[in-house]
Amino acid sequence: MSRKPPQLQRRRFLKTALSASGAALFAPTIIPSSALGRDGAVAPSERVVIGGIGIGNRGTYDLGCFLEQPDVQFVAVCDVKEARRVAVKNMADTRYGNQSCAMYRDFRELLDRKDIDGVLIATGPNWHATAAMTAAKAGKDMYCEKPVTKNIDQSLILAETMRRTGRVFQAGTQRRNLPHFAFACELARTGKLGKLTKVYAHPAGMQAMMSGWLPAQPEPDPEVVDWNMYLGPAAWRPFNAKLLDGFNFEKGGGMVGGGVLEWGSHCVDLCQWAVGDCPPPVEYNAPKDGQLVARYANGTELIFRETGWIPLGSCPVRFEGETGWVEAGDSGKLVLSSPALLAGRTVAEIGGYPATFHVRDFLDCVKTRSKPKGNADAACNAHIACHAANIALFLDRKVNYDCDKHEFINDAAANRLRSEALREPWRL
Amino acid sequence: MSTKHSLTRSVVFLAAMFVMAAASARAADDPAADSASAAKEKELLAVLRSDAPAANKAITCKQLAIYGSSAAVLDLAKLLPDPQLSSWARIALEAIPGAEADEALRNGADSLDGLLLVGTLNSIGVRQDAAAVELLTKRLQDQNAEVASAAAVALGKIGNAAATKSLLEVLASAPAKVRSAVAEGCVLCAEQRLDEGNSAEAMRIYDAVRKAEVPQQRIIEATRGAILARQQDGIPLLLELFESPDKAMFQLALGTAREFPGGEVDQALATALDSAKPDRAALIILAMADRPETVVLPAVLKAAAQGPQPVRVAATTALGRVGDATCLPILLEAALDADAELSQAAKEALAGLPSDKVDAQIVALLDQPAGKSYPLLIALVGQRRIDAVPELLKAAEHSDPAVRSAALTALGETVTIKRLPVLISRVVAPKNAADAEVAQRALRAASVRMPDREACAAELATALATAPAASKTILAEILAEVGGAKALQTLAAAAKSKDPAMQDAGSRLLGKWNSVDAAPVLLDLARSAPEPKYQVRALRGYIGLARKFSMTEPERVAMCQKAFDTASQPAEQKLVLEVLTIHPSAEGLKLAINAIQVPALKSEATQATLVIAQKVGGAGVDVSQLLSKAGLDKVKLEIVKAEYGAGSTFKDVTAVLQKNAGDLPLIALPDTSYNASFGGDPAPGSVKQLKVQYRLDGKDGTATFPENALIVLPKPK
Repeated sequence: MSRKPPQLQRRRFLKTALSASGAALFAPTIIPSSALGRDGAVAPSERVVIGGIGIGNRGTYDLGCFLEQPDVQFVAVCDVKEARRVAVKNMADTRYGNQSCAMYRDFRELLDRKDIDGVLIATGPNWHATAAMTAAKAGKDMYCEKPVTKNIDQSLILAETMRRTGRVFQAGTQRRNLPHFAFACELARTGKLGKLTKVYAHPAGMQAMMSGWLPAQPEPDPEVVDWNMYLGPAAWRPFNAKLLDGFNFEKGGGMVGGGVLEWGSHCVDLCQWAVGDCPPPVEYNAPKDGQLVARYANGTELIFRETGWIPLGSCPVRFEGETGWVEAGDSGKLVLSSPALLAGRTVAEIGGYPATFHVRDFLDCVKTRSKPKGNADAACNAHIACHAANIALFLDRKVNYDCDKHEFINDAAANRLRSEALREPWRL
Repeated sequence: MSTKHSLTRSVVFLAAMFVMAAASARAADDPAADSASAAKEKELLAVLRSDAPAANKAITCKQLAIYGSSAAVLDLAKLLPDPQLSSWARIALEAIPGAEADEALRNGADSLDGLLLVGTLNSIGVRQDAAAVELLTKRLQDQNAEVASAAAVALGKIGNAAATKSLLEVLASAPAKVRSAVAEGCVLCAEQRLDEGNSAEAMRIYDAVRKAEVPQQRIIEATRGAILARQQDGIPLLLELFESPDKAMFQLALGTAREFPGGEVDQALATALDSAKPDRAALIILAMADRPETVVLPAVLKAAAQGPQPVRVAATTALGRVGDATCLPILLEAALDADAELSQAAKEALAGLPSDKVDAQIVALLDQPAGKSYPLLIALVGQRRIDAVPELLKAAEHSDPAVRSAALTALGETVTIKRLPVLISRVVAPKNAADAEVAQRALRAASVRMPDREACAAELATALATAPAASKTILAEILAEVGGAKALQTLAAAAKSKDPAMQDAGSRLLGKWNSVDAAPVLLDLARSAPEPKYQVRALRGYIGLARKFSMTEPERVAMCQKAFDTASQPAEQKLVLEVLTIHPSAEGLKLAINAIQVPALKSEATQATLVIAQKVGGAGVDVSQLLSKAGLDKVKLEIVKAEYGAGSTFKDVTAVLQKNAGDLPLIALPDTSYNASFGGDPAPGSVKQLKVQYRLDGKDGTATFPENALIVLPKPK
């Protein structure tokens, strides 16, 4: 069995932080607001009608960004937990001053609504890929939280599905729309650091985690918690309240992603952007001394590193070239090998944390049909890099990946970890 | 067995099993490993054949997915009818190579029904089992729509000629509930034909779906495919979509046009733009601009020059990405337009317009300045970082304050170190008082971006030495922003000078210094600054460095010791104790214990000692002797009961405290936030308390702590 490789396209990047005008021009879009109907009072025909699927902690943050947008009408929420359904409905109804937000337990009913243009998917990682592809096939665009996929095959199918269905997909990799990260990536991508030699990602917990089957507890009333829908595509197991933390549930089947996937889907994604969104690394070594070294086809190393970071906040990345380096983190700051790399600007001019940019990027692309920064092809490559690193970590040995065939070379064990069957009736 | 115990056991079991699995798969595709895998497979099959709990069998299936062989297939197939284990079995059956697994799934599909059958058909699809086409074709007629739909999609994934034939035959006749999946299967088949280079067959399939009564999303997929499969012959169909009254079809055109290969489609987009209504024209322009290599630039230029405002704005913005020097006149005109949005779009486009020729043209235009365009051109010099200092210096002498202001700002964005004195002189001796503020901003902007900050600091330091009093503080502040050794040395001298204003500015700026190389300077100032208040300021800055920056623990403790010894007030000594608590170490513990002897610090030092001891002790350092020396012997602590909340809403957190209690009268929680440590907020919006009943060395005690307070349990009387 081998899956056909998707024809991953290199996205055409909009002019961003390195443009001569500097950070002021960096925004998720260069599209005039009047062209998109988001200036002033937005006519109903210009609104993007959104529904939410699985809105927990992170989803509530995302939803706040959506509700801030004048051209968004949030009309429905689906959650397998009654408490979350009600909380999100209250949030939306308070925003609009009405009682209109509809509630669903089964997201397929929400997807059946013809008035909904797009969905915010913020379930646990177990559901992300399946819900995203179901939504795409139902004709919805989507903003989907990360990690987007549970394994390599899901990553490939995600990219194929979004292309085939023509849907707009934005992964919740919001750092692609943060100016200082964009600036750092652009420095790397455009040769300002010289020939790129190493890109570093912070996995924040480089270990294979376990998911599993805990002792059965009495199953709650499905109206309160619909356990069957919560399990969704994950293999069956009895109800246990400890598994209701979607964040830690079934990130990757038996071999769960851990920090490599949870944080890698952000920082490896940035490394991928720094290397021009090229195919993922072809070689992944066993972890050693707190580092896992992967290597791209052109020799550039992708290094998962737990320690040794300049204190710049969470999710740091570092890009090293033959003539310079840059490091950035969630503090909104950058450290560079030379101020000359700033090309006349200051770190303060470039930095910041405009949280809504990523959502805005998605909404604009829903209208223009352009590709958002966290598009499915980019997410696919970054997630493959994380999954392959995780497989090397799990097997505790080197694995080699063929980016054309999308299979590990002469490595049956690694290849069998590329995919995992979904529980009935779910399919991709 | 308690629930807690059994939970632990399950997780440990799973972890152990996976470690074994990984070890067995260590040297894949090597004969020795094959033999090890075979042995392991036997062990796993024994689990499947035993009466082991379902949990064990489930995880065994996952391991068989890694290295099970055809020998495992029969045992796995037996689990397919089991509602709990069916999906686990399919995890292995989908992964195990060979015809046996295919056959097992086909046999399963023959005997199963309902959801379990759906799952099995899905797995057949994933494996792209061509031998299952006949079986799946029959299942297309299943009364259960979910089963028929699963069969349709599985056929699409197999995608060969036989599967395609089966799907096309029922595309029109399938029940409405199934037709969408049949169309999905057809589109999947067409994709495979296209990948194989058989575009004619792909077109035939796509067209069949387009004509079928299927949901619009399927039509969209087929139409996209039909256009791309036809290649250049697909352009007329694409243009039809641009004319479609259906928004979804228009959106499909926008997306598909971006995917289209070659340059012919760009001309088609220009044609579509000509006849489009304004709201659509703006979106077409954005699609055109997403094809920068082949865009028809004259069409975008034309749209930018005239027409409805939204279209002009869109086209103007697009020029910033795809334009060239020929666009300069139109953009300059638009930048001065009365319409604010158009003007702003043009200014941004001008700033980003690619091509070096643009820079040369802008500089040339500066020679013939005219009215409002002059400040605009100057601003562009700054934004585009054009080297045009002579022209800017000339503009800085202009009679119009707006021109002078623009020129100074642009100088700040473009001067090199060589020309920095030009800006310094404008700050130290402004020719026009109205320009002073903008000159200061420009000098600051220029200084902080200088690649050679030592050279920059030297220029500023030279100026500071002779500057009039009014500008000394400004230069000092800019020096501080520049940083580096020269700036440090200059400000240290200023802080110790005889000028009170410089003493104030120097100590203030050094006190906020943001690198550890200021430590010796600050310590010196803390001991010998001219005024006690500046000594305190410097000492606080010194302590702040020890608190904030990465260094070895001996270095940090040494800094803390020096700060402690230098401090003349308990307030600064308490700050030192805070640093020691934040960065706990054995050496720091000794310093905290010594501080207990200072009467004014006894309470804080004891608390710091306990916290440090717990953290250091938790890391394996034996702290008992040190504590004993401080009169803080280990205790026997039992948590009887603990509740966290407010009013009548309290949550039992006894277990959390018991877990974190040690042999000191202090409990460090996993997080400084009680809510985070205790698994959530029991009373949102209320002021909460933690109530603890405990036993310390056999004596009962109670204590109450405000939210997030450090938990130090008093010795019961």
